Amino acid sequence: MADIAAPMGGKVIDVKVNVGDAVNEGDEVLILEAMKMELPVVANESGTVKEVKCSKGDAVEAEAVLIVLE
Amino acid sequence: MIFIENRTYASQLFQCGHSFCNDLETGVLFMEIEDKIRELERRSREAELGGGQDRIDQQHAKGKMTARERIYYLLDKDSFQEIDKFVVHRCYDFGMEKKKIPGDGVVTGYGRIHGRPVFLFSQDFTVFGGSLSGPFGEKVCKIMDLARKNGAPMIGLNDSGGARIQEGVRSLGSYGEIFKRNVWSSGVVPQISVIMGPCAGGAVYSPALTDLTIMVKKTSNMFITGPQVIKAVTAEEVSAEELGGAMTHNTKSGVAHFAEESDPAALDRVKEVLRYLPQNYRETAPIAECTDDPNRKDKSLNTAVPTNPRMPYDMKEIIRAVLDDGVFLEVHRHFAMNMVVGFGRLKGISVGIIANQPRFLAGCLDINASVKCARFVRMCDSFNIPLITFVDVPGYLPGVNQEYGGIIKHGAKVIFAYSEATVPKITVVTRKAYGGAYIAMSGKHLGADINYAFPTAEIAVMGPEGAANIIFRKEIADADNAEETRDKLVENYRNNFASPFRAAELGYIDHIILPEDTRPKLIGALMMLQEKKDSIPGRRLGNIPL
Repeated sequence: MADIAAPMGGKVIDVKVNVGDAVNEGDEVLILEAMKMELPVVANESGTVKEVKCSKGDAVEAEAVLIVLE
Repeated sequence: MIFIENRTYASQLFQCGHSFCNDLETGVLFMEIEDKIRELERRSREAELGGGQDRIDQQHAKGKMTARERIYYLLDKDSFQEIDKFVVHRCYDFGMEKKKIPGDGVVTGYGRIHGRPVFLFSQDFTVFGGSLSGPFGEKVCKIMDLARKNGAPMIGLNDSGGARIQEGVRSLGSYGEIFKRNVWSSGVVPQISVIMGPCAGGAVYSPALTDLTIMVKKTSNMFITGPQVIKAVTAEEVSAEELGGAMTHNTKSGVAHFAEESDPAALDRVKEVLRYLPQNYRETAPIAECTDDPNRKDKSLNTAVPTNPRMPYDMKEIIRAVLDDGVFLEVHRHFAMNMVVGFGRLKGISVGIIANQPRFLAGCLDINASVKCARFVRMCDSFNIPLITFVDVPGYLPGVNQEYGGIIKHGAKVIFAYSEATVPKITVVTRKAYGGAYIAMSGKHLGADINYAFPTAEIAVMGPEGAANIIFRKEIADADNAEETRDKLVENYRNNFASPFRAAELGYIDHIILPEDTRPKLIGALMMLQEKKDSIPGRRLGNIPL
């Protein structure tokens, strides 16, 4: 099980995966807007999405867990 | 090999067939030369065996090379000249007087890498766990003094359990003598530390004082206090690897600059890094033969920066496209990835690259990125390596933690380092250069020699949204449709100010260049600056905000 966390504080502007989706290491799983930049957040390992802990429009803090993989 | 040759020569001269000669005139018994040579060989072999075959086998079983194997791998063939091979400790406590091994746990000497002289020490874990005694420290100091006085790089191969406890405060004294020499050599000769085993307690400060630290994954670690002490004092449980392994120091603390898979890979890295460095501060780095066309244009650079300022891109692609043969030796690759630093070549000349990386933290300057940048700038300046800076920085990273952590003083290091640097300084603004970060990232005002900008550059005091909100606050508040008015004013600001032209009109940007011309333009500027001589106003010592 691996957590995908926010690299920096910002706003979630797109969630690209749903619960049950298979993701590979390096896949973009969501887009975060911070410092007026759209930053892709990528999976740090392969797995299946167990939980999506944020939704589009959410403001998140740095290091907040956004997606849980298993 | 040398001993065998000498012995053959000697035995031809003095062959007499007896183990001892009787001098008839004096009546004194002399040991025959052959026996003296045999004794030298025996002692030499004893020293070379270090802690013995069992310990050597244990060292190999851990995937580690021995102290001597590392030296032979690192240096040019047959170039190693050892000194102090027969030094032993002088400890008469705790039964240590019965345990003496020639060399006393460290191999020191000099040799060549790529034909250029280097000095080195290699700690031998098979001898008393590589622990540092008084004489061990004296050996290291002797070789460090030679390196500094003779102007050649000093390389330390670390694999030691720490202070030799039986020696007591003598061991500590030796550490202090080593640290002092690290400081004296700083900025005089390049100092490179390779961590190839444990490096704990006070011992960590020698590597920390050197220019670059390379760690071997899995087999090396560095910490001030180990997991057991931490558990006893703070009840925190942590493994040695987690606490001070190669990746910990390459990603979290920034103590180490490289993490390598194995001993040979770490030693290869030393050889690679040395290619970009001069022997000492009086020299410039060797110029390599350049087969890559200095006038090479690269059309792909015209589209490397996305026109949408919200889209990130990989700054390293631009760096590689510009450098000779696309070769970029990144330093501190895993740490503060919003800042990229490393070595490359332009027309064969060694240059230091510093760049914001929009792919991480939007390329913001934060505490770690500032420290990483400032330290690298100073290393390059120490050793006459020109600085090439690529700028795409939206500003300093906002945040309570950043402010509490002292981003003010750490960010100031960037300004200090660039302002102080007198090597050629060339800057390319690829996109954003806003606010204080615009100044800090080798802005014209800090003494950069040539500042270029891409047509995509946005150089202003702040981004269009923020600026419009402040300048036109009243107009937006009074408008019937605030949202629409704001968008219009933001767009207006963007078109008028978020460009390189305002800065170019003032001469803050020397020229706006086509991205495809970046390589020829940088090389042209670098050639123009080859004879640059500059100094900052006289003083005893600048007081960098630490």
